[in-house]
This record gives sequence, C-alpha cells and structure tokens, in this order.
Amino acid sequence: MTLTQYQLAEKLEQALGNPQQADSRMSFQHTAELDEAEQFPHEEIAWLYNWGLQDYYIPTECGGKFTSFEEFVAFVRVLARRDLNISIAFTTLFWSFLTWMAGSDEQKKKLSHLMREEHAAMCLSYSERGHGSDLVGGSVTATKVEGGYLLNGEKWPINRATISDITFVLARTDPEGGNRGLSLFMVEKKDLNPSQYYNLPKIKTHGIRAADMSGIGFSDCFIPDSMLLGKKGHGLELGLKGFQITRALCAAFSQGAADTTMRTTLNFAVNRKLYSKTVIDMPHARRTLTNAFLDMLICDCVNIGAARGFHVATDQFSVWSAVDKYFVPVTLEQVMKETSVILGSRFYMRDEHDSGVFQKALRDSAIISMFDGSSVVNLHVLILQRRQLAKARSRIQKKPDKLAAVQARLAQSFSLSADVPTFEPNRLELISRGADDVTQGLEGTIAKLETLRESGDSTLDQSVLSQLIDLAQIILEEIDAQDALVTESAFEHGHEQSFESFELAKQYCRLHAAIACILMWMYNRDNAELGEFFAKGEWVVLSVHRLLSHFRMDLNAPAGAYYENVAQELLQLHAEDKMFSIVPFQLAQLSTQAANTQFTYQEDTTHATAPEPQFI
Amino acid sequence: MQQLQNPSSSEAAPVLKIQAWLVEQIAEVLSIDAATIDVHQPLTRYGLDSIDAVTLVGDLEDWLDLELPSTLLWDYPSIEKASAYMVEEFDVTVD
Repeated sequence: MTLTQYQLAEKLEQALGNPQQADSRMSFQHTAELDEAEQFPHEEIAWLYNWGLQDYYIPTECGGKFTSFEEFVAFVRVLARRDLNISIAFTTLFWSFLTWMAGSDEQKKKLSHLMREEHAAMCLSYSERGHGSDLVGGSVTATKVEGGYLLNGEKWPINRATISDITFVLARTDPEGGNRGLSLFMVEKKDLNPSQYYNLPKIKTHGIRAADMSGIGFSDCFIPDSMLLGKKGHGLELGLKGFQITRALCAAFSQGAADTTMRTTLNFAVNRKLYSKTVIDMPHARRTLTNAFLDMLICDCVNIGAARGFHVATDQFSVWSAVDKYFVPVTLEQVMKETSVILGSRFYMRDEHDSGVFQKALRDSAIISMFDGSSVVNLHVLILQRRQLAKARSRIQKKPDKLAAVQARLAQSFSLSADVPTFEPNRLELISRGADDVTQGLEGTIAKLETLRESGDSTLDQSVLSQLIDLAQIILEEIDAQDALVTESAFEHGHEQSFESFELAKQYCRLHAAIACILMWMYNRDNAELGEFFAKGEWVVLSVHRLLSHFRMDLNAPAGAYYENVAQELLQLHAEDKMFSIVPFQLAQLSTQAANTQFTYQEDTTHATAPEPQFI
Repeated sequence: MQQLQNPSSSEAAPVLKIQAWLVEQIAEVLSIDAATIDVHQPLTRYGLDSIDAVTLVGDLEDWLDLELPSTLLWDYPSIEKASAYMVEEFDVTVD
C-alpha cells in the first residue's frame, strides 16, 4: 500500500497475525476465552505498549507519532476486527486529546512521558449513576482548599475506572456557576491518598465482558492545583469538545467488528453447500451480502471523510462527528443483523465456527452506538443545529468566495492523496455556525460531475456518471425540501424535540452520507492505489441509490451487473485477505501450515449436510 | 414584570434592543411569559440549559450578522450582562 497513512495499519496486522489462526496473538479463540472468563486482557494490552502503539495517540509536537486521524481510524479497525475488549480498553488513550487540547506544557510533557515510558492508561470519569448524559447535573464536587481541591462523589459506569493510572474527572467547582461551574481534572491516581478514593465493583455486561466496566468514588480526596486541566470553570466546554474528537473515532470500532462478521460469514458462505449450490451462489444470500458490503463502503466514505475532515473543517465537527457517530455504528449494527441470516444458527453459537466470533462481535459492538454520546444525543445535537444549517446553506449560495473555499476544503478532506494540515484541537467549536461543507458544497459537486461528463474522458463510464448526476440531483431536491421544512416549522429548543425531528435528523445523516460517497469517488477515481473497482464507480451508484431508497420508492433500479461486480469485489477481497473497504489494505494471512489445516476444514464443511438446529 | 435595564450612555438603544430580543426569544424557547423574565437574573434560573444557551447564541449571530463566542451566555449568564458585553465588545448595531 503506497498510501502512507495505511502503512501503520498494515504493519500492525502483520505483527498480530491472522486472528483465525489459534496461535496468533489476539486470535478469535484466545479473545473468546478471555471474554468468557471475563478476564481483562492485561497481556495483550502490554504487548501493544511494547509494540509502541501508544505513540500514535500522542501528537508529534508532544513527543509522539500521531499525525493523522485517517491513520488512527485505520489501525483502530485492525484492533477492533480482532477483539473489542482489547481495542476499546487500549483506545481509552484517546482521552489524552483532552490534555493535548487544554493542558499546560508541563501537563502535556508529563502525560506524554507517562504514556510512552510508563505505559500509563486512562479513563474518563464523567458519567454518574443518577445523571446519565446530563453532565451539568452531575453531583461530584471539587471544593477549593489551600493548594488544591477536595473531590467528593462517585462516577459510574466508567470504562477502565479501576485498571488505569489516570482519570479525567469532571466535577463541580462552583455550586452557583451554572455552565461555567464545572472543571476538568487530570488525576494521576498514584498521587492520591489511597484512603480517600475507592473503586466500585466490575459491572457484568452483555458484551465486552472482559472490560473493566466499573466506577470510582472520592471521599474528601485531595488533589493538587496542578491537576486542574485548562481554566477553572471550563470543564463542560472541554468535555463537549473532547466528545467531538472521540465520537468520530468510535465509528472505527464498529467498522472493525463489521469486517469480522462479514469475513466469518463468507468463510461459511463460500464453502457451505445446500441444495447442490454454495450459499454464496444463492440469489438472496448473494444480494444480502452485497448490500451489506455496500453499506460498509458507505460507512467508509463517511468515516474516512470525517477523519480527514477533522484536520480541515475542524470548526464544523459538532455536525460532522454527530453524523459519523450516529450513522456508522447504527448502519453497521443493521449490517451485522442482516448478515447473520446468511450464517444461520452459527451466528448464535459461542464456541463454533471461528470460535463463535460472530455472536461475540455482535454483542461487543452493541455498546458502540451508546457510549460517548448515544444515537439520541447525536441526533439531538443535529436537531438543535438543523435550522442554522438550512439558513447558512441558503446564505452561502450568494457568496462565490465562500463557496470556492468550501470546494477547496472538500477536495482536501476527501482526496486521499492530499496532505492534511496538522490537527488543531483549539479550532473545535461547540456549534458549527450552520456550516457543513458536505451538504453546502453539493451544487458545486454536481457542477464538477457535469464538467467531468462534458470532458469526454475515455476512462470514465458515461453511464455511471449520468446515473450519478441524476442521483445527486435527487439528493439536492431532498435537501432543499428538508431545508424548507425546517425553516418554515416552529423551532423547538431543548429536550422537547418531536419524534419527527429525530426522523428528519436521521434523513440528514443519510443525505450527508450519500454526498460523502460521491465526493470520495470523485476525488479518488484517479488514484490507482484504490483499484479498478473503485475507479469504475458502479459501487457509488449503488450506494447512493441505496441511501436514497429511504426517501423514494420509485427510483430506477440500477443494472443487475453492477451488483454482480460488487459481489465479485467482495469475494476477491475475502479470498485475498484484504480489508472490506474503499482502501482495501492487506490483512495478515494464514501461515502455510494453518492454511493447510483450514483447507482440510473447508473440504469437510463443503460436504456438510447436517440440518440446521431449530431455535423456536 | 419585564425589567429592562436602562443604561444612560449612548449605547442604551442597542443594549435595550438586544435585551428585548433575548427576553422574547427566551420566553419562546422556555414557553414562559416574557413579563416574568428579569434581565438581572441568571438564565439558568428559568431553566435555560447549556445546549439551549449555545443554540441561542447561534440565533443571536443570525440576527446581528456577527460572529460571537458560542459560550457567550455561559460567560455572561444574565440578559443584562450578555447585552452589555455584546455592545461593549462588538460594536453592535441594531436596526
């Protein structure tokens, strides 16, 4: 892979080995055993530190190797496709971005040292038992005393509350301070008096059973002034901005899990014979898996675009990260559910077929659409900004200079061969002021497609291009209609939003996703690294068609050959052990010995005729 | 009763207009009687939560065609303080 931002993911893949192979590190078999035993993956996490992965959570200016969120989401997928216990437990390190964003030079230096040299881990102590996602309503207090603060109260449920070295605590420093009455602290637990804090027991969970899901309590716990992160009273603002970062990154967990459920299903579908046919050759199964693959490609366009856009359109991330965090996990949950039908009863088994990895990935990933802001929270964030988005979109059409700037940012956000600027967390804003380049640049995007059509470029499939322009026009009509509806309706503030508003916000996410697909194709079709399948663009016609079918029932059906070509690509990526992605980087392959064993196994299952058990 | 501040400086007119606009908006947002809003009181007292306060700044920006800090109503948490701050810091003109 010549795209340098994917080389780390490939390197990590090779170091970890093929997870289907029982003797590989983080194999499906071993991680299933840890999960069943509800044992925290200490050894696997220690291996990742020794490999040096923590360096990629630390910006280069702070002594680490982080330069790109696109690189970041790629390596998180590599971890997540093996096991979400390990990937989620290790990736709590992304909370360090709170310090990179708001910490003093001394705090940054200290945290960088702790992560790199002492292999420190961290957790985020925001939630409280009685307050859910209402951060302002929290009851943990930090009372000012000489030289520091006294912490009181409990945080729960907190991932890695017990097995961590640092906890970021949001606490009320001013009872009368309202939204400016909360402060954020970077608390190093070894500096606390052990008698002044305690941990709450591990919580038993449906998925990620090996996780340290617990809590932490403080009783007049003294913390020095040096642990205050950012300005006193700025905790809520920092917390909300920090969520914009982590929400966009969470989607990569779902992508890794979906890759595995697809891969294990194909392991079955290409070998299993029923009625003298293999499962994959049955029309329903083939189309179901093809559609699931298309959904995965759509999610790629959204999440890779967002990962790059973070560096470019940072101040718009209250919108982009809400779209990403709602759309990708929820779409991929549905992908897994639909894929499970093809695997049949095996999807439900905990110790059969690739060590029962399907059911485990299904259970583990169910939490992703919930944590760091649930789907409802993210849709709510969009609803509150929806009227501004509509007004700003209308205004910007009259400002050619601003439209040109939108097009320039889109080119940088979506062209994978373009360099992205250094991420500047201080450019994050609580609201985007009505800006969303993806939707606001649609007219310009359509104009670029029209120019392509007129160019007579012989490398372009004119039929694909014509269909894409027609579909893009429908997206435009739908956005115009939604903007008009939002502008004309009475605007509800706060938490009194109607069910219909949430449905409209979901539709906005789908329209944003459809445009992201077009942009990804348009800006990368010339990139030879992505291959002929990507360049031809049939997949993007099907993807946009699929998203728009939520809006219109009467769309012209795309050619059946397009679906077959997507199915062929899916099978080829499976056969070659490549990521199911628009950037199909190489995954670890089976060792020769393991491949022979696997072949024998496949031969056996090819002739399997045992009836499926009934679960009635 | 609605208590608009009555500054004596030349900035009085815009301050009063912004105060009146905020009173009207907050009454609408929170579905309360505008006459019950006291411009000196913290907005949280009327139930304006953190995200509503940020959203309202977006509406203010639209109205004034001006870019304001999104945390303006967190930092200046009463109608009186927010209006005075805007006029002092941003040379606001209100038609």
